[in-house]
Amino acid sequence: MQVDMSVNLLGLKLKNPVMPASGCFGFGKEYSKYYDLNKLGAIVVKATTQKARLGNPTPRVAEVTCGMLNSIGLANPGLDKVLSDELPWLKSYSLPVIVNVAGETVEEYCSVVDRISRSKLAHAIELNVSCPNVAQGGLSFGADSKVLSELLKRVRGVCSLPLIVKLSPNVTDIVEIGLAAQEAGADAISLINTLIGMKIDINTGRPVLARKVGGLSGPAIKPVAIRMVYQLADVLKLPIIGIGGIYTAEDVIEFIMAGASAVQIGTANFTNPMAMPDIIDDLERYMKEKGIKDLDQIRGCAL
Amino acid sequence: MILRVKKNLKLADAIWQMEIEGDFPYNKVQAGQFINIRVGQGHDHLLRRPISIAEVRQDEGYLTIVYRVVGQGTKWLSRLEPDMPLDILGPLGNGFTVEEGKYSLIVGGGIGIPPLYELAKRLSAKVDRLDIILGFRSEHDVFWIDRFKKLASVDLFTEDGSLGTKGFVTKGISEILADKERHIENIYACGPIGMLSAIKGLIGKLQIGGGASLEERMACGVGACYGCTCMTTNRESKRVCADGPVFSWQEVDL
Repeated sequence: MQVDMSVNLLGLKLKNPVMPASGCFGFGKEYSKYYDLNKLGAIVVKATTQKARLGNPTPRVAEVTCGMLNSIGLANPGLDKVLSDELPWLKSYSLPVIVNVAGETVEEYCSVVDRISRSKLAHAIELNVSCPNVAQGGLSFGADSKVLSELLKRVRGVCSLPLIVKLSPNVTDIVEIGLAAQEAGADAISLINTLIGMKIDINTGRPVLARKVGGLSGPAIKPVAIRMVYQLADVLKLPIIGIGGIYTAEDVIEFIMAGASAVQIGTANFTNPMAMPDIIDDLERYMKEKGIKDLDQIRGCAL
Repeated sequence: MILRVKKNLKLADAIWQMEIEGDFPYNKVQAGQFINIRVGQGHDHLLRRPISIAEVRQDEGYLTIVYRVVGQGTKWLSRLEPDMPLDILGPLGNGFTVEEGKYSLIVGGGIGIPPLYELAKRLSAKVDRLDIILGFRSEHDVFWIDRFKKLASVDLFTEDGSLGTKGFVTKGISEILADKERHIENIYACGPIGMLSAIKGLIGKLQIGGGASLEERMACGVGACYGCTCMTTNRESKRVCADGPVFSWQEVDL
């Protein structure tokens, strides 16, 4: 039986629903040594800000039960270098390039989105309003529906590309935030970003991370992610990209059944650099075994 | 890639040595590079454990690591028995540059010592003179001294004075740097950040080659996640896993 894993997302044709989660894949170069990136449905690159950011002090990663904490702090080489040194290289691949954009102010978001929109080096923007690891910007734009609406309306004005808004689970009511994003002009929603967590070294009695708190990712957060994707799929018209603790093809199926159009994979890449190509192969095998001809057949079936 | 455990034995207090055999690009290994080891089953441990390569035996087809048991992941490693499979990535990172004909000094502290053994093997065959200074907390932590002694003269320090000279390795380095008869050209070091920082302080503006190998908590180990960064003297951020772990004394801010 032939199965069709392809996904039409925001007018972009994805070979399969699997793409990396921003921040877990650099700009692709490191993992291109392990496999052909054309295997992926799309690529999502590291959060890009106007100016270069060094990120937070180390230690900025820690392992926890079924997960990990990070407090990288949006370290990136800055917009100029991303446009000149990183994105052009991806043109040699035939896959949609999604650029994650972060900022400290509305003006910064707009200016970065504007230049990336006009660069012809990206196919979509993912707006990061959910980073828990920075003092300014990030989550402060994604935790309040009014603040988020204002930002999205302004960004929408300068964004000629499809606009994905990446949401945080660290909110009281994800539905309220999701509806606000839809109304303010988002084309798609990706979620969840990490949950805020902490680990204490019981030998020193101090938090392990230099910034004390960090974002929790990995299989530990998958049930939260499934629940939030499900809640939004139930009320939004927009396509949803599910993120959170995906390690297997079965996890991908679960997100699709919760209503996701596609998925992003983060932490699993660290455990196994071949995680995404392996999951894509397993997904095809799973669909054949279960007689699933295409993903539409099961998308949102749990709703 | 999947390799196999050849031997796994305890060397000192919480210090273990493991020989790992199987298909591996042994001939490509630089002294100072590391492997990233998957530990545990299922979702027990999501992050691999980066451990430096202590010795490569290309002819016999195995490599050796020396590791300290500090948590659940390394405890799991210490329980592995011969012939059990081990999932590793590597060799990773940039190792030490072996320069011929120089007067070189190797300085190691505690669990930072292992990668310096492969380096000492290579240097001892190529340099004019090699001195080695090793430091441990106490005699209970000491390992591989005999191995190093076969390659060059070794100055041993322990913090509590239970073996060798009492004190820190920096005492030995200061003496060598102050000795007008000895013109050290390269210092190669690996150990606690405090030790590396003290050595950089002693080097000051002297034109000393070699380099410092850094340790940092890592997630991906291949340069993608920016988890393990360090700062350079001109305020740039570098990835310990992919740009290091070895940095020049002049470049790295310690």
